[in-house]
Amino acid sequence: MVDTMTMARVRLFAVFRCLEGLVAHDEEARCIADGRREVLEFSVGGVGAARLAIGGGRIEFLPGGGGSTIKLWFPGAPQFNALFAGEGKPIPVRGFTRLGYLSGPFTQLTERLSHYLRPRSELLSDRSYRAANAELSLHAAFYALSEVGNHDPDGRLNAARMADGGVLVAAKGGPAMTVLARGGRLETRKGQAEGIRARMIFASLDKAGAMIRGEMSSYAAIGAGDVALSGYTPLIDHMNKVLGIVPRYLG
Amino acid sequence: MRTYSYAKSRELFARAAKVIPGGVYGHLGPAEGCFMPVEAYPVFASRAEGPYFWDLDGNRFIDYMCAYGPNILGYNDPDVDAAALAQLKEGNCVSFPSAKMVELAELLVDTVDMADWAFFAKNGGDTTTFALMIARAATGRKKVILTKGGYHGVAPWTQKAGHPGIAPEDVANNLYVEFGDYAALERLFVEHPGEIACFLSTPYYHPVFDDNRLPPEGYWNKVRALCTREGAVLAIDDVRCGFRLDTRGSDAHYGFTADLECFCKALANGWNVSALCGKEWLREAASSVMYTGSYWLSAAPIAAAVACVRKMKAVDAARICTEKGKRLTEGLVEAGKRHGFTLKVSGEPAMWFMRITDDPDFDHHQAWVAECVRRGVYFTNHHNLFINTALSDADIDFTLEVADEAFAAVRRDGPLSARKGW
Repeated sequence: MVDTMTMARVRLFAVFRCLEGLVAHDEEARCIADGRREVLEFSVGGVGAARLAIGGGRIEFLPGGGGSTIKLWFPGAPQFNALFAGEGKPIPVRGFTRLGYLSGPFTQLTERLSHYLRPRSELLSDRSYRAANAELSLHAAFYALSEVGNHDPDGRLNAARMADGGVLVAAKGGPAMTVLARGGRLETRKGQAEGIRARMIFASLDKAGAMIRGEMSSYAAIGAGDVALSGYTPLIDHMNKVLGIVPRYLG
Repeated sequence: MRTYSYAKSRELFARAAKVIPGGVYGHLGPAEGCFMPVEAYPVFASRAEGPYFWDLDGNRFIDYMCAYGPNILGYNDPDVDAAALAQLKEGNCVSFPSAKMVELAELLVDTVDMADWAFFAKNGGDTTTFALMIARAATGRKKVILTKGGYHGVAPWTQKAGHPGIAPEDVANNLYVEFGDYAALERLFVEHPGEIACFLSTPYYHPVFDDNRLPPEGYWNKVRALCTREGAVLAIDDVRCGFRLDTRGSDAHYGFTADLECFCKALANGWNVSALCGKEWLREAASSVMYTGSYWLSAAPIAAAVACVRKMKAVDAARICTEKGKRLTEGLVEAGKRHGFTLKVSGEPAMWFMRITDDPDFDHHQAWVAECVRRGVYFTNHHNLFINTALSDADIDFTLEVADEAFAAVRRDGPLSARKGW
């Protein structure tokens, strides 16, 4: 079952957040982001707000509301989700004269992100594309994991079973993230945070990508040594139950 | 000391992963089996004898998992296997049960203190599910109290809400209590008057990843009185402990009487049969529940169980396992001390749990276990271990040598071996 609120949070706080890393992989995206700085705020009733600061060839994700040049309001999760289905229209609250940015550069950036997050098999033969797909997908999956663990009904049951502490998720020679559990609430941070109690280390970024794309079984990958687990295993075990729900939201 | 490598196991695992979900699934597989790091472990066995198994690469291991419990007399015990093979020649899976079924039921009624009757199935989980169904049939109630961290098989009702494949309705009638907390158990009965069919628990607390705990003084007698007063069935999941602590049943071992008692594991030394024993007042309820399976009355495993129970009684297997367990665990603790590690041993010596203290995330413990496995001593890092009667003093001495060298390696290298890949 897919929960509407969780879906909106995954899109707002996980998928949009991946735009941050897009420009490092994609020259076209970097050029699109290379204009005057705009700060887009997405405010969704009952869900929360997040901002994207785009300009100078960089994209920064800022959780929460605040200063922005364009502010878009959605009455609730269904209206925000409709935007992703190409059906919904946001209600502009600020930046009426800049709305063209939304249908122009911003839409182009989200299309570039989709290009990497929804891979076509012919593109995956390109090494740099595979690396971009793997890193962005890893980020999307583990940012989404915290939203699912905090909001999806099944996700919450499993997150509540996680002891306090961090799980380091990393690819050898590649990116690292930490999923922090505290009182049954999850938070995903980039890099290695304090309080690591368990580790899930992929043999390479390419292996991580293959697993997230579903080309490789996660259980078989453990046996083959393509992903190494260590430390306080119950944390990983419960986290993986949450991770198993993530494709319902990112699929 | 030579350390092992596993080229053939790896090669076969790659083949397995193509045609079997996860390659090797469940508790024998690398994921659920917590092979950390996976490089330290074999994946497939080629043969087994006594206390040993050999992997595909020809490496010999002293097996302290005993197939997760079934091996109690040593692998390929000649008496048990002869009984099974003789019956196999006579007939195994037939349209009618064999006389061996009655013989085993009579033997269990004579052996297990609480037993007035016995019923046979295949796995431990068959018997825990049957126990719950009997309790519901007998009481007309639907709820069951389980202990947190208890394991009773893999049927949907034994699993957790939110896990893959489990609907909320599967576990809607489960209530949970901490093992040994009598007051909390009594409170659940007060909060659910007339609703509780059954309290199902292992005789002592033996979860994974946690120190095992014996029942507090007087706990089981109070629980027995509570269940009787409330008209609920007291069912003991003796699947893991059964016959290893006491051939009379673990309820007798701890001085109380269960209404239902589930057995599997050591019952037939590895032949596939399980048993549920029950009190007279539940006989009719047991008869009323439609519960059967294609192979449940196959005669060869039942013949093996007859031979196994007789031999366990004759040699006093529980005493042997306890004594060997004590000697081994005392030696392991000493070996740890020599290298500045405190190894905490908990539970019953015949099936102890151990972990290195001041190591809350199991990093050193995983490394030490891995170093032992690489040298031919098969421990796991998350589960209780098991003793079998075929284990010799020389095997224990060898194990202690390995343990000493493994502790030295971890003292020298830290938990690095558990962190390969990072």
